[in-house]
Amino acid sequence: MAVSPAAVTGRSTPRLVTALRSAARALAIPVGSVIFAFVVGGLIVFATRGNPFIAYQDLICGGLGAFCTGGENPALQISNTIVFMTPLVMAGVAVAIPFRAGLFNIGAEGQFLAGAMACTIIGIKLSTWPAPVLLPLVLIGGMAAGSLWAGIAGVLKATVGAHEVVTTIMLNYVAQWLLRYLIIGGPLQLPHGFSVSSPIGAGARLPTLLPHDNTLIIFGLPSSVYRVHTGLFIGLIAVAVFAFILWRTSLGYEIRAAGQSQRAARYAGVSVRRTIIVSMLIAGAFSGLAGAVQIAGVDHNLTDKYFSDTTGFDAIAVALLGLGSAVGIVLAAILFAALHAGGSVMQSDAGISSNLVLVVQALILFSIAANFLSQIKIRIPRIRHVTPPPKAPAPALADISGGPPDPEATAT
Amino acid sequence: MRYSHLRILATVAAIFMLAACGSNSSSSAAAKTFKIGLVTDTGGLNDKSFNHLADVGLQKAITDFKVQGDVVESKTGDDYIPNLTGFASKGYDLVIGVGFLMAQAVGTVSGQFPNINFAIIDGSGTDAQGNDLKHSNVESLYFSEQDAGAMAGVLAGMLEKDKKAPGNTGVISAVGGISIPPVNHYIAGYKWAATMEDPGIKVLVGYSNDFADPAKCKTVANAQIAQKSEILFQVAGGCGLGVLQAAGQAKLYSIGVDADQKDADPSVIASALKKVDIATYTAIQNVVQGKFTGGALTFNIANGGAGYALDNLTIPADIQAELDKVQGEIKAGTLTPPADIPA
Repeated sequence: MAVSPAAVTGRSTPRLVTALRSAARALAIPVGSVIFAFVVGGLIVFATRGNPFIAYQDLICGGLGAFCTGGENPALQISNTIVFMTPLVMAGVAVAIPFRAGLFNIGAEGQFLAGAMACTIIGIKLSTWPAPVLLPLVLIGGMAAGSLWAGIAGVLKATVGAHEVVTTIMLNYVAQWLLRYLIIGGPLQLPHGFSVSSPIGAGARLPTLLPHDNTLIIFGLPSSVYRVHTGLFIGLIAVAVFAFILWRTSLGYEIRAAGQSQRAARYAGVSVRRTIIVSMLIAGAFSGLAGAVQIAGVDHNLTDKYFSDTTGFDAIAVALLGLGSAVGIVLAAILFAALHAGGSVMQSDAGISSNLVLVVQALILFSIAANFLSQIKIRIPRIRHVTPPPKAPAPALADISGGPPDPEATAT
Repeated sequence: MRYSHLRILATVAAIFMLAACGSNSSSSAAAKTFKIGLVTDTGGLNDKSFNHLADVGLQKAITDFKVQGDVVESKTGDDYIPNLTGFASKGYDLVIGVGFLMAQAVGTVSGQFPNINFAIIDGSGTDAQGNDLKHSNVESLYFSEQDAGAMAGVLAGMLEKDKKAPGNTGVISAVGGISIPPVNHYIAGYKWAATMEDPGIKVLVGYSNDFADPAKCKTVANAQIAQKSEILFQVAGGCGLGVLQAAGQAKLYSIGVDADQKDADPSVIASALKKVDIATYTAIQNVVQGKFTGGALTFNIANGGAGYALDNLTIPADIQAELDKVQGEIKAGTLTPPADIPA
């Protein structure tokens, strides 16, 4: 990225070095955190009389379909990882946008559920509508519901100064209980007594990439086992839209300005209140879209498994690990999804409890939050004796290397 | 990994030796090491209940039949399909799903792998509407929870009738997780038997709408205690631990569910048992002996798949006699606890 122009202009070793150095500094925290987590996780496996190398080999097999020894189907494993990754990408964006504006959106889970509920309700009520109309409708409905859910917290923050961490957490509970009401004794519950809703209409479903056919054999298994659906592309488009909004629009500039210093942003003529509300509305739309895509692409109905869903919470880790950048979020989502998918293979083949995955995830988050790795400075050796590089040649990288926003900036 | 390979090798070698020692029939079948995959629900192996018992049954089968048994815990509901598919795609001989939460997942995966045998505790392979798909490769392991619930009801009813309860208020209660058939079967047997023993008894029934959070069940239990309930039957899994605690704090009696919950709280006087270990073991045995069939298998008092355990209370002899009598009658079929909660 910032490296190429420097490489082209021949006599620019200092700039190249600076760019490399700031890139290394930006990546040091996330990469270091992941390495730290895997090393400590490996020690835990070793201490509990397991073989960490075999455990991680099976984890990689389960997550990425490589180095399998237990007869796993690589295509199936990759497909599972992509299915887990899809909602994480969108929910990760939903955490990253407010984070850029100096807000902590802990409510991605509630917004995710709101989107899932709206998608299901529309998909059931209008189940006979044709796909070209109904499918956009359920997705937009999910976005609107997520937006509404996050918007409540945004408006409260901007008007009465209610802290968004508290309100978004509380709204998670409201969404969870609303879901309970809907499918336990509520209007969406099926008559059998199980806590599930009826399925959404065929027109509201996102098609899978491979045909949903139990008899067609692809990669040695019935093609219906590969659950990768077109929501993957929606997720990738969503990330691109996020990057575009953030870096190519005045709104994105306002969001970033408000996140770095509210006072300075105000001085520059940015309406901080408006920015807070708008960034929460956009974030909620992404999270709601994740919920709608999960219903439309994978589950097709609300079930009690959504009571224990953790997508919105994993998204916080994904956004932090991805440093709130588009590429980072995708990479972090792939990592978390691969860990999720790999855990079960590790347990069935190596006999290591899949709870190790939770330990590794927690360690990653811990080391990012504690930020102790920044104490260990990565030094890139200086080439010869050059004059000190000019300040801030790469604003983009300088931007993302910052940790959590200035606490002073968050206080209204 | 390596260890399990060694184990398989050793097992295969042992079976070959046995086969060589003169068994003449079906030696090719005997040489096969059956592979059994167990998928827990989100409760995990350490739930001291359902998933734990399923694993106990699997471990016993590993010892008895020399099968290869592998377990995967589901972290979230999103894991059910990948975990079941994982075992099925590797050609396991039996894939067991623990709990009705997996009904839809078992329905989906069993349709994709018609040559793999599946078993599911407490449910069947269903479609998204909850209709049984009746796949011939799915064995449903059901329980007559009302049998176990009835034993709890006899105990509670007799304690009230004999004035041996903490306050002799004549009120007992049950806290259900969610109003679903397996939960209501327990409560049905409980209420029916308590009323049979003590016709004047009042049985309160409440639901927490949760299976995981003890605080929610504690709230429901405390509301029942406020209405003078003094024997509380929990039918809510992990959530129900809150019922046992609430009863303990109020110095009242509680009754555990599914597994023996004697150690969960001193207030637990008995537990209504659902012997998931026996069901799991039986399903594996059926596969190993070539007797696997699709459809429902029901486990009850008569076949040893349901029952009760007495816990932290010394029961008077007449109550013990009544428990034995009712259990004998249910076993013989002369008494049949209802599956629906009586009015």
